[in-house]
Amino acid sequence: METLLSLRGVTRTVVLPDDQELHILRGVDLDIASGDHTAILGRSGCGKSTLLNLLGLLDVPTSGELDFLGTPVRRIGSNARARLRGSTVGFVFQQFNLLQGRSALDNVMMPLFYAKGRDFWRRRELAMEMLDRVGLAARADAKPNMMSGGEQQRIAIARALVRRPRLILADEPTGALDVETGQSVMALLDTVASESEAALVTITHDHNVAALARSRYRLDSGVLQALEGVPA
Amino acid sequence: MSGFVSGIASALVEAWQELRINKVRILLALVAVAVSVAALTSVVGVGDLAREGFKVQSERQGGRTATVGISVYGPTGPLDPARMDKAYQGIVERYGISYWTNVGQSQAKFQFPQGVQDVQMTLVDPGYGVIHRIDMRQGSWFADDDAKRLAPAVVVSEAFYNAAGRPDLVQNPKVKTAGGQETTAVIIGVVPDMYEGMPPSAFMLRDSAAAAGITAGFGEFKVWLQDEQAETLVQAIQMDLQAQFPGANANVFRQDYAAQGDPLAMAQIVVGAVAGLVLLLGAMGMLNISMVTIRYRVREIGIRRSFGATSGRIFVGVMMESLVASCVAGIAGVMLSIAVVKNPWIQSKVAPGLDEYPPFPIEAAMLGFGAAVLVGALAGAIPALVAVRVKVIDAIRF
Repeated sequence: METLLSLRGVTRTVVLPDDQELHILRGVDLDIASGDHTAILGRSGCGKSTLLNLLGLLDVPTSGELDFLGTPVRRIGSNARARLRGSTVGFVFQQFNLLQGRSALDNVMMPLFYAKGRDFWRRRELAMEMLDRVGLAARADAKPNMMSGGEQQRIAIARALVRRPRLILADEPTGALDVETGQSVMALLDTVASESEAALVTITHDHNVAALARSRYRLDSGVLQALEGVPA
Repeated sequence: MSGFVSGIASALVEAWQELRINKVRILLALVAVAVSVAALTSVVGVGDLAREGFKVQSERQGGRTATVGISVYGPTGPLDPARMDKAYQGIVERYGISYWTNVGQSQAKFQFPQGVQDVQMTLVDPGYGVIHRIDMRQGSWFADDDAKRLAPAVVVSEAFYNAAGRPDLVQNPKVKTAGGQETTAVIIGVVPDMYEGMPPSAFMLRDSAAAAGITAGFGEFKVWLQDEQAETLVQAIQMDLQAQFPGANANVFRQDYAAQGDPLAMAQIVVGAVAGLVLLLGAMGMLNISMVTIRYRVREIGIRRSFGATSGRIFVGVMMESLVASCVAGIAGVMLSIAVVKNPWIQSKVAPGLDEYPPFPIEAAMLGFGAAVLVGALAGAIPALVAVRVKVIDAIRF
């Protein structure tokens, strides 16, 4: 399997207003390959979202090496990183982060506005296909405020997958859902990721959600460790 | 190439989608812009119309651009008219002047169905009609051979025509002068009255009038010159006449309104400045609303950036939204302005002297639309810069 992401000794430090340094991530080593399903467990404030931002090219490490498809991200300019992110990474957020006032179809089409050529011109068709795949084609014209939490998260999944990303990053995807809906959303996410051979990285504090992954890690005080019995 | 085209298209479609979604907010911001564009465009449009009306009125009175009046006074009074006529004809021939006229004022009595009335007579040459932009209500102005008619031709005012019982001009209606030498004249044309309630008046060719015993006192000679040659020719004619009549005082001067400068320019500048101020206030309102909106759109900007929107794309998106909206407002404003300026009631009040109104000035439409685009660009640039500075990670959590 091709390695998508490779982290070696990655740290992320921020300077607080009182000039003190806060070490959010410390020496993180991690490899993500195509088709992987990885879960990262951790309590609130342990650095999970910071790690997700690094994996999703939204941020760069303070030190260490982070390679995306073999290229160190430090060498990629911010605009090129944005384009690379758009074409290869799909985000699923805890609070869905759908665009309010827009229909489900508009939301799913949104990433295709940043695609070029055929994908842009076929945006409606591709978005409808993806809505159909998550079982919400009939709700294409519905707006987020008229949908249940489960439906909104399925729309968010369709939006994350519409550009056929190679990496799907899910930040607490079931955090705002009840147990039953959360399980169905995770099953859907796992299925569509497997079908498209995309790597799925789920960040969660829920052991049941993490249990669905093939490799699991725990992030504690900025240190990432493989959970026992699971290959790192 | 395909990527470039789809990039442009996607920015436009995205901007239009934003407008559609936020139509109420944008509509509120754009009403002010559309109204101020309409005001600015109307100032130019109405100003042009008023200027055209004023020009026509002025040309009817003072002559077209450039009409030059020529007169010569001897040291003890007017010179011999026959000698003067010869001198004027010499000027016409030497300087190749196509349109010229002698103008003299006189009074004559005419026999109307209701009795005899005094009529103000203007004794002219055929060139007067062209020089003074005579607008015929009916019939025609004098031709050169009208001077050869046995029954002199008259062009009468509307008041004269009414007093004569509005006869059919096709029948060559006749009117008689009364008192002194009785002459039968033929009405060949009717011109509008200069003002409401104007007493009857008429034009007659000088030679015909002389034959009918109607003579003018001191007259004036007028020539119509090309604007760019006027200054040189005025000096040349002045020197020419001065040389012909040593010791006399030759007056050669422009009479047309264009020589006096544009009397409406200052008023138009003042009203234009007020309209510009209104436009500026509209732009400030639009900018204000855009800035507030950007604060509410921070999360959306973060989401878009996480799905691949570059900072340049975010800038263009916010900017285009403002530009597309202001273009729509500009078109609406210009259309409103056209509706105002081309309104028949407004046209009749602004330019009462015109029979045919000029088309809506394209420069006014361009100015209004250009101003709207400029406002959109200015009101879009600042929020767009703010949007670009949004930090993606913070924005998603916003």
